[in-house]
Parts: sequence; structure tokens; C-alpha cells
Amino acid sequence: MEITLANLRRAFREDGYITDEEVLLTVYLALKLQKPLLIEGEPGVGKTELAKVLARIFQTTLIRLQCYEGLDENKALYEWNYQKQLLKIQLSKDAGCPAELEEDIFAPDYLLARPLLQAIQAEEKVVLLIDEVDKADEEFEAFLFEVLSDFQVSVPELGTLKARQIPIVLLTSNNERELSDGLKRRCLYLYLTYPAVEREVEIIRARIPDISEKLAWQLARAVAQIREQQSIRKKPSIAETLDWARALLTLGKDSLDETTVNQTLNLLLKRKADQDVFTEQVGARRLVMASQDEKR
Amino acid sequence: MTNRLEVNLVRFVHLLRLMGLRIGISEVIDALQALQEVDLAEREAVRTALQAALVKRPAEQAVFAQAFARFFASPEARAALEQEYAEKVAQQQEMLAQAAEDLQFHGAPLALSDEEKFIYASIPPSAQQRMREYIQRTAEGKRVESNFRPVLESMLRGSLAFWRKSLRTELDQLLIPLTDDEELNALLSSMEEQPEAAADALLTEDMRNIAEKDLPQARALLQKLARQLVTKIERRYRQGQRRQQLDVRKTIRHNMRYGGSLFKLRYRSHRQQKPQLLLLCDVSGSMARYASFVLQFIYSMHSVVSSIEGFVFAEDLERVTDYFQYGGDFAETMVEIMNRSQEWGRGTELATALQSLRTKYPHLLTGQTYLLIVSDTKTMKVTQAVQELAEIKRMVKDVVWLNTLPAAEWQDHSSVKAFQELVRMYPCNTLLDLEQVMRQKIIT
Repeated sequence: MEITLANLRRAFREDGYITDEEVLLTVYLALKLQKPLLIEGEPGVGKTELAKVLARIFQTTLIRLQCYEGLDENKALYEWNYQKQLLKIQLSKDAGCPAELEEDIFAPDYLLARPLLQAIQAEEKVVLLIDEVDKADEEFEAFLFEVLSDFQVSVPELGTLKARQIPIVLLTSNNERELSDGLKRRCLYLYLTYPAVEREVEIIRARIPDISEKLAWQLARAVAQIREQQSIRKKPSIAETLDWARALLTLGKDSLDETTVNQTLNLLLKRKADQDVFTEQVGARRLVMASQDEKR
Repeated sequence: MTNRLEVNLVRFVHLLRLMGLRIGISEVIDALQALQEVDLAEREAVRTALQAALVKRPAEQAVFAQAFARFFASPEARAALEQEYAEKVAQQQEMLAQAAEDLQFHGAPLALSDEEKFIYASIPPSAQQRMREYIQRTAEGKRVESNFRPVLESMLRGSLAFWRKSLRTELDQLLIPLTDDEELNALLSSMEEQPEAAADALLTEDMRNIAEKDLPQARALLQKLARQLVTKIERRYRQGQRRQQLDVRKTIRHNMRYGGSLFKLRYRSHRQQKPQLLLLCDVSGSMARYASFVLQFIYSMHSVVSSIEGFVFAEDLERVTDYFQYGGDFAETMVEIMNRSQEWGRGTELATALQSLRTKYPHLLTGQTYLLIVSDTKTMKVTQAVQELAEIKRMVKDVVWLNTLPAAEWQDHSSVKAFQELVRMYPCNTLLDLEQVMRQKIIT
């Protein structure tokens, strides 16, 4: 697919990823400038999904590196296949030809490529998703610099490996800690927020075609009302809105009512404390009223 | 055309930098490249392209939006801004001239900076009147000497510094931005403070200076920081199996089944131990605000420490642990402590407090305890306090001092030096300091 804004817009829509023009344009710029895109935002706004969508529309592989504290280059970049090296040593010893052994066991055949190296070595242009980079240690961020700015990695025993195709790189962060300036400088930046009510209605209807327009609007308004509560810690994600919509459809509901809200609330709010806050500050009755308020 | 675009972009970036955004050269180049990919006639596209390349923090987005709206405004709107700015400058010049006329000693102007004169011009007329009368009385006394002038100037500077703190918000809005570019000055003077950026600024504000109206926001921010830190630490506790050093014994034992070949490696797992915290907060006069923030922060972290004992002290020690046992609203708890406490707002005697701690609560001073002292080191009987602290240090695992004096002032206080020789001391006068010192130095 040729990268144009119109093509991208159409592809996103065809894939059912409904988004704002601002998001679309930022993704387009990242693709055109071949820069990594750093996406921040609350959990559940569709950061990871964006990478999956890109992989689908470019019909390419999605290589995912899930970050966590303690992630190091052995897990992210490469590791020598220790067991295979050991077998080789044993076999060579038995065969009595250990001379070229050292060169042999530090060859690419003995390298276990981890996500970053896989993305660099891929023959096709892949999508590399570095997910929740804020959970990795600060030292690991510095380690990413070489990959993100030069699309190459250094393996001491083999030298520098340059990317065969510059991958589409997306990094996501839940903003648990401030990322370094160095990392941010190397990326374009996108802050994703929860969609506006109209946009969420579009998303619901695109993903769940059987739902009535009326119910889709009610759900979107209700979810927006819940997300407005500052005291609710884990706000409902887009995926949870969709789950809720599917559940209501399964229950044969065509509109929201108090009993249904109370019965299905745990699909949206999965922490007891948040459910208590909801009951105390909003309540099913007000939520139903808000969901019918066409001014929202 | 391209040249014009580049010049405009550089000026816009300059404006953003003046507004506090950290933008590097590579980001400017990205912005320029991004602009080449969008239709320059489409305002929204230009805004998005610039935002993607230049804005890298959520709190900066509102600042950027405002700057973009002002910088790329219609010529009429820009002219109106410049007009407004010119009027503001003229008004301020007038105020400065009046201040210079008022602040004279024996017919010659006092050596005060423009900023100080401006503060004088902004304070209430009654306070101005008092200052003028004071100058007059000094000038008209019987044995007036010429060396009165520097003393008078110094007195006035002190008084104006006090007013500067009280009028901070108003003054920040009024002070003229100091760039040599009048056009940028006009834009800067028209900017309003953005709530998101203000929240960011609270992090680096001296806790003592956080205005009353910002307290709920500051507390919410602190709660958020604590929550983030707790999540991070809890995750680390769960990762006890993380690879560390090679465990040779376990590796050999495990590989016996492979005939002694080291086929699978075993690593030492590091057992994390939750620390016990003993908190000693100075609540004398100026310290009360810091103490309330530190107490809130530490108690928000109760799930990642094995126990917290809280004490406040001024002239003597008072245990506050029980107030925090049952959760509840922090602000209410603090009010309750402040109302009931005998110590809140009194003078400081660390030596007595430490002695009470050692004699009345020896069971709390164990080899597992971290003693955290939150104080500005300004105490009576420093030598005795140092001796007591040395005694206690021998009984606990470590003593960490969170000093609420800004680090730049440490050298001016001999008490800082005295305590610093004995314990680890870190500056802790902003919310950010507090979070960092807890994350990096205490619960590591």
C-alpha cells in the first residue's frame, strides 16, 4: 500500500479502527518520516491496538517486545544459544577437531534473535511494537537509542547489524514514569485520549454491527459519564465498552435501565473500590439518565 | 517561501522554549520535515504536525495549543495583542517611575532593582504608605549618617521579598517577559497559565510556597506519585526470580542429570525485604507544611513497607502512628493531629525529641529500622542533638535525613554540616524531591 493520508484513512476504516484525524495524521507522519512513534495515554485507549492495525493493513508481521522491570538485552535483543554451543563443543571434542571451534560457536547460527534483532533482520518491513516502555528500567531506554535512531544494533562478536528494511516502530507508555528526553527526542509523539462520545458510537457500531444506534449512543454516553469521575482509578477502556455492548446484546437489551446497569457494572469497573465510588457518586439511576441525555 | 517557513518555525520554537518546553534541534528538524509532508494551507494539519514533533509531554499540550493559537493568529488578532502589550508596558513604566520617585533617601534614589520597585508599585497603598513613612523617619532622625542608606536599602529589600512571596501569583502575571524580541514579549504576556502545566509546576515548587488554593491539587498529585511508586515497588517484589548472579552450587546440582555438563544454568534470586520505617517529622513553625506532605506520602506507601511508625516533634516528641491506622481521609486526619498535637508550630529541640525516642521507644529502634528525619536542621542545642543521633544511629539500620532547606542554602548553616557528617542527607523541599529520594535512596 502506498503511504498517503487518504489510503491510510481508508485502510483504518476498513479495519474497523475508527479514530480522529489528528491520530491519523500523526501516524502518517511517522510512516513518511520513518520515525518511531511514541504513544502515551491512559490504559485502554487503543495504543497497542494501533500497532496491530498497522501490521494488518500493511499485511506484515507484528513483532512485540513487552517491557517489564529487569528487561535486559538478552531478552530484548539476542542471546547466544548456550545449549547449542555446548553440544557443539561436546561433538567437536568427541570428533577431535576443536581448532575452528571458537569461530564456529559465535556464528549467527548460534544466535537466538529476540524481538529487536528479529525486527532488524526481517526481510520484509515489519511492525515493531515496544509495549509499555515505561515499565522497563531507565538503562534499557538508553539501550534502545541505537535501534531507534539508526535502526541498527551492535553485537560484539559479530559487529554492527543494520536493518534490512526500516521497521515501523511504535512505543507505548502508560505514563507510569517520565521517559528520558533522549528517547522522546528520537520519536514523534502522540497522546491518545478516550474517544469523544460520537467517536465511541462509531467504534461500537463498526465493531458490533448488530447493535441499534440508540443503544450505542446510550452506552457511549454512559461510559463517558463514568470516565468523567476523577475518583475512579481504572476507567473503562474502549475494549470494555465493547464487551459491555456485546453483553447487553446477548441479554437481548435494546436500551439501558437501572437493573441492567447494576447487573453488568462489573464488566466496566473491575475494582471493588471503583464500583463503590460509582455507587456513591453516580449510581445506576443517574447513569441511565445521563445515557439518555442527548445534549452530551 | 521555505526560508520564511523555517524562520517562522524557529521563532515559534523559541516561544515554546520560553514557555518551558524542552525542545532539541533534532525535534526542530523533525518538525520541518513533518511540515513538508502536510498541506500548509490546512491549519489543523500544521498544528498536528508541529505537535507530534515538538510536544512530548501531556502537560505541555495545553501550553502548545495556546502558543499555536496566538503565534499563528490572524494579523488583526496579532496587532490587538501587540497593542495590549504596549499599553501594559506603558502602565508598568509609569508604575516604575512613581516607585523610583517614592523610594528616595535624601533626594537620591535608593539602589533597588526594577523588580523590587515593581513589587513596591504592586503592594497595597497602605503598605506603600508605611514604607514611605519608614524612609522618611529614617531620613529625618537626629543623627542621620550616610551609611544609613545601605541599611535602609537592605531593610526595604527584605520587606519587598516578603511581599514578593505573598503576591507571587499576581506578580507573575504582571512582570514583563524579558526577551529582546518585542513581538515574542507581546505573545508571552498574553499567555494564561494552563492548569495541566500548573500541576506540573507544583511538582517543583517549594512545598512551603504551595498556595492554599493549590493544596488539594498538590495532595492529589502526591497521591498519584505514591501510587505509581507503590505499583513499581510491588511489581519488583513479585519479581524475586529475576536473573542475578550465577548460583554455582544450584547449577552443578541441577546438571548432575546431564552427566556434569552445565546444560541449564541456575541463578541466585535476590530476596526483597520490605523496610521498616520510623518517621520523625519536624513540625515546628515553618516546617509544618513539609511534615504534612511527607506524612501523607509515606503513609500512602504502607503496602510496600512492613511497618511505619510516625512521630512529630518540635520541643518534644509525639507519636502519631495511631491516627493513620484506619485509612480515612488524609486531610481530616492531618487537621485532627494538628488540633490535638501539643508540638505543632512550636520551637525545635531535636536533642530532646531524640532522647525521648531512645528512652521511651527503644523497641522501635531495631536493626531493620530506617529512621527518616524530616527537618531543616534548625534546632537548639545542635551538639547534643548530634550526640543523641549518633547514639540512635548505632541502634538502627540506617538514618536518612530529608532536609527541607534547598541544597544551595546548606553551606550557610553550620547545623547542616554537623548532621551531614553523621547521616545521609538529601534535599527534599519539593514534591518531586520527595518522590525521588524515596524511590532512589530509601525503598530501592
